[in-house]
Amino acid sequence: MVDPRSHWQSESFKRRLRRRNASERRFRFFGVAAVLVAGAALSLLLVSVLSNGLGAAYRTEFALDVEFDPEILGIETPPPGEAVEILASADFGAILRTSLMRRFPEAEGRSEIRELTALLSRGASAELADRLRAKPALLGQRARIWIPTSDDVNFLLKSRESDSGANPSTRLSDRQVGWVDALMDEDRVANRFNSRFFTAGDSREPELAGIGGALIGTALTLLVTLAVSFPLGVSAAIYLEEFAPDNRWTRLLEVNINNLAAVPSIVFGLLGLAVFLGLFGMPRSAPVVGGLTLALMTLPVIIIASRASIAAVPFWIRESARGLGASPVQVVAHQVLPIAMPGIVTGTLLGLARAMGETAPLLMIGMVAFIVDVPTNFADASSALPVQIFLWADSPERGFVEKVSGAILVLLALLAILNGAAIMLRQRFEQRW
Amino acid sequence: MRSNQLSIAVLALASVALWAGHASARDQIRIVGSSTVYPFSTVVAEEFGRSTSFKTPIVESTGTGGGLKLFCAGAGLDTPDIANASRRIKSSEIELCQKNGVSKIIEVEIGYDGIAIARSKESNSIDLTLKQIFLALAREVPTPSGEFVANPNITWKDVDPSLPDIKIEVLGPPPTSGTRDAFNELAMEGGCKTFPEIEALEKTDKTTYKRICQSIREDGAYVEAGENDNLIVQKLVANPSALGIFGFSFLDQNRDRIRGSLVNGVESDFDNIASGKYPVSRPLFFYVKGEHIGTIPGISEYVNEFIGEKAIGDYGYLADRGLIPAPSDERKLIRADVNAGKVVKLAAEN
Amino acid sequence: MTNAIAPTNSAHAIPGSSARAGRGSIKMSARAVNVHYGATHAVKDAVLDISINEVTALIGPSGCGKSTLLRCFNRMNDDIVGCRVTGDIRLDGEPINDSEMDVVELRARVGMVFQKPYPFPKSIEENIAYGPRIHGLAKKGMELDAIVERSLQRAGLWDEVRDRLGSPANSLSGGQQQRLCIARALAVDPEVILMDEPCSALDPIATAKVEELIDELRGGYAIAIVTHNLQQAARISQKTAFFHMGQLIEYGPTSEIFTNPKVQKTNDYITGRYG
Repeated sequence: MVDPRSHWQSESFKRRLRRRNASERRFRFFGVAAVLVAGAALSLLLVSVLSNGLGAAYRTEFALDVEFDPEILGIETPPPGEAVEILASADFGAILRTSLMRRFPEAEGRSEIRELTALLSRGASAELADRLRAKPALLGQRARIWIPTSDDVNFLLKSRESDSGANPSTRLSDRQVGWVDALMDEDRVANRFNSRFFTAGDSREPELAGIGGALIGTALTLLVTLAVSFPLGVSAAIYLEEFAPDNRWTRLLEVNINNLAAVPSIVFGLLGLAVFLGLFGMPRSAPVVGGLTLALMTLPVIIIASRASIAAVPFWIRESARGLGASPVQVVAHQVLPIAMPGIVTGTLLGLARAMGETAPLLMIGMVAFIVDVPTNFADASSALPVQIFLWADSPERGFVEKVSGAILVLLALLAILNGAAIMLRQRFEQRW
Repeated sequence: MRSNQLSIAVLALASVALWAGHASARDQIRIVGSSTVYPFSTVVAEEFGRSTSFKTPIVESTGTGGGLKLFCAGAGLDTPDIANASRRIKSSEIELCQKNGVSKIIEVEIGYDGIAIARSKESNSIDLTLKQIFLALAREVPTPSGEFVANPNITWKDVDPSLPDIKIEVLGPPPTSGTRDAFNELAMEGGCKTFPEIEALEKTDKTTYKRICQSIREDGAYVEAGENDNLIVQKLVANPSALGIFGFSFLDQNRDRIRGSLVNGVESDFDNIASGKYPVSRPLFFYVKGEHIGTIPGISEYVNEFIGEKAIGDYGYLADRGLIPAPSDERKLIRADVNAGKVVKLAAEN
Repeated sequence: MTNAIAPTNSAHAIPGSSARAGRGSIKMSARAVNVHYGATHAVKDAVLDISINEVTALIGPSGCGKSTLLRCFNRMNDDIVGCRVTGDIRLDGEPINDSEMDVVELRARVGMVFQKPYPFPKSIEENIAYGPRIHGLAKKGMELDAIVERSLQRAGLWDEVRDRLGSPANSLSGGQQQRLCIARALAVDPEVILMDEPCSALDPIATAKVEELIDELRGGYAIAIVTHNLQQAARISQKTAFFHMGQLIEYGPTSEIFTNPKVQKTNDYITGRYG
């Protein structure tokens, strides 16, 4: 018989031990490496989105001395105390043009004046009208007002920053660059915070475009999704888990629900198109249709998460409640559901987060569209945040590059809030233990 | 608790049912169709919304074929009012429209689109002929003996000794893109036809002709860079030796970074595309559903905004976005036709 | 041996046994009870009486069917898929498997305490109040508070938890949790309490406390307890039923079963020859 002591001291045992320790170290190294790679990828994404996207909420503006001439505008000066009535035909463009021409009298001839006004955003006159509407006292006055520029000016400034001023590449002519320089010498050019980015709807001018419409569209859509998929999903899960007989049909149903969760989202878009638009004749591009379509997509996710969560409730909870004389529905409603709720809520929010990032199903029901007006109800035409990102990423104007990153930042922030809410709700429910 | 949830579900379903009868009143123009026309259509829509009291139209980018299918689905108010198209409507589509009760289709030509071949500004441009483009990118090329072999050209010098000794590397759109269709038709087929023996094939063996002329090589020389033209521009900047193929408006917006190649010795600029000198260009259209004029508010006003000199004129705002204006006589003709309410006719086509 | 005691459904007494020698009158009775789990015949022709003011202990080796039989008394087996119960079980002479008997009412009258202390994941107060609330026993909050206090007092837990009724039930020790479960069962004011190995998860001190409690409760209820602990059965019960392989082997006053068993098998078990 081998002496165990000599066995522990034998060469072969020590060799095996070394091998075991080495493989242990190797495994840990791979684990750490995997975490590092994932972390690096994530921080790379964040850094690139952050560096591009923070500029999205800023735009370049000129400070111009604007004279609100009632004659050019065709507006009568109202008696004191009455509101100014601004006609749609009021030519605010002319006011901006005269303001620029006064500052740069050297610009002569049609094409030069065109070049001069091209420095301003196409939406400048509309914003000027808003300004007058908000402050009627300006009528007949001359005021220094910040006016958004075209995104070419923005790019000129940006490329100067990055190339340290040497030979900036720009679409502006030398004359236009000269004018911008002149204004800069007078401190009349600045990058200013642009609240429109958070409130306005879509626009083809980057300096006017905003995610407001898309945000509200996403909110309305997700509300419908939640209101439909949560009660339906949880009820279905409760029935399947607690009441349905275990037979061939329920098993078939179960397999189908699991399959449904893996179906590509575009299929739900087709379903939504056929059922909600085709059969029910609901309006195209409406958040209610988007929400219902995404609810179809989210339903299996919620059912699966809820079933798993309900199944994980210990058997003895049900036994104890039944032993006290609780009816089956009381057992579920009073004891099982409260315990399963954190898991159900987490599953629901994950499903909603997935729905929030979808564009494919919305494509089929017309929510991938150029929509300027901010939606105000569930039947208004509206887009959604990921749709807005997709549309902007496809736009030729360069100014949309940073808008895309900005919108992605907002989407990421929303996802963080949603997941934070999941964690908070979870803890809230679990305190009852 | 469970009964609460059930009642919510029932409410939701009930509201769905209520919406069934809700689709009638619409006060917003709906536009679908080509992704090439989308950038122009949206700018006009926004301008229209800004300068009139009508609501801003909703524009969806569905592709020309998809858009016309929706457009021709019926004359009801749940169908779009306008379809954008990067090609003329096909007779089969007119038939579909008529079958579904859409008979007053008004065609509006808005200008031209050019397909640019461009390279980073950091390197010299490579100027090409259509024949050279075909020889560089076709899957099969003809040999002097008249046979077709898999494209053996590796560098531009292999294509033509006058071209530089650089590897052929072209970034372009995938087959699902409208730009690719137009490129196949205008550039590839145009180059293909310069071989008399292939042109003869068009009459005798149409399938072979199509296969030879419109197949792009798949051995890595042509890289499908995705539908997003911005991405192609970015890749060109990152890789100065490559060439890229994309819509003219993207070249126009990025002239500080990339430079267009001459094709058949013609530069891709507004004038040459508008006059038809630049060979890789095509007209763009939109189609209006006559049945909806007067029912949906603002359609005529929108069309007038679009065909006004302010938009599609030589110095119109669409020119700033890369639309190539039609010659001014042609524009006058377009306006006259629209004002006369001229309707697309089936027989006139064939 | 075969079933030594032939059940007679009509009389509803166990002939040949000394059941009538006890002090309590019969509260629940089981005759010819058979339980099948799928292909397993878990309980074979069992007979058992549970009497008022008495503790009836069910003993026997693991898997002998004693827990299964106990669960028949408030129809807990109804909810187990594939479980079939036949035979005649009565509460105050009324058959409980009858359609006239509502299972919710039955379980309110016949409470149950389980093997492990299983309070609901809620506060102490909520645990006690749950039963009365679902049965509508208390109209106002005050009445409910009174029931909570009374139940905890009866379970001997009031002094330990009166200051922290709102704290989570699982912050209590194992023994306290089990007494809480007993208090929870008492709160619905049952007539019979079934206990399925209530002390098997407890340490000796907690066990002693629960045993003391069971002995006190005997005064107001009919109690049946399944236990593996023979000393416990001897200490707290007045009647003992010995099961083996799904069959009732012997039933009688505890003192007799433990000192003078009539059947050899019972003798073997209580003297530790097998088990």
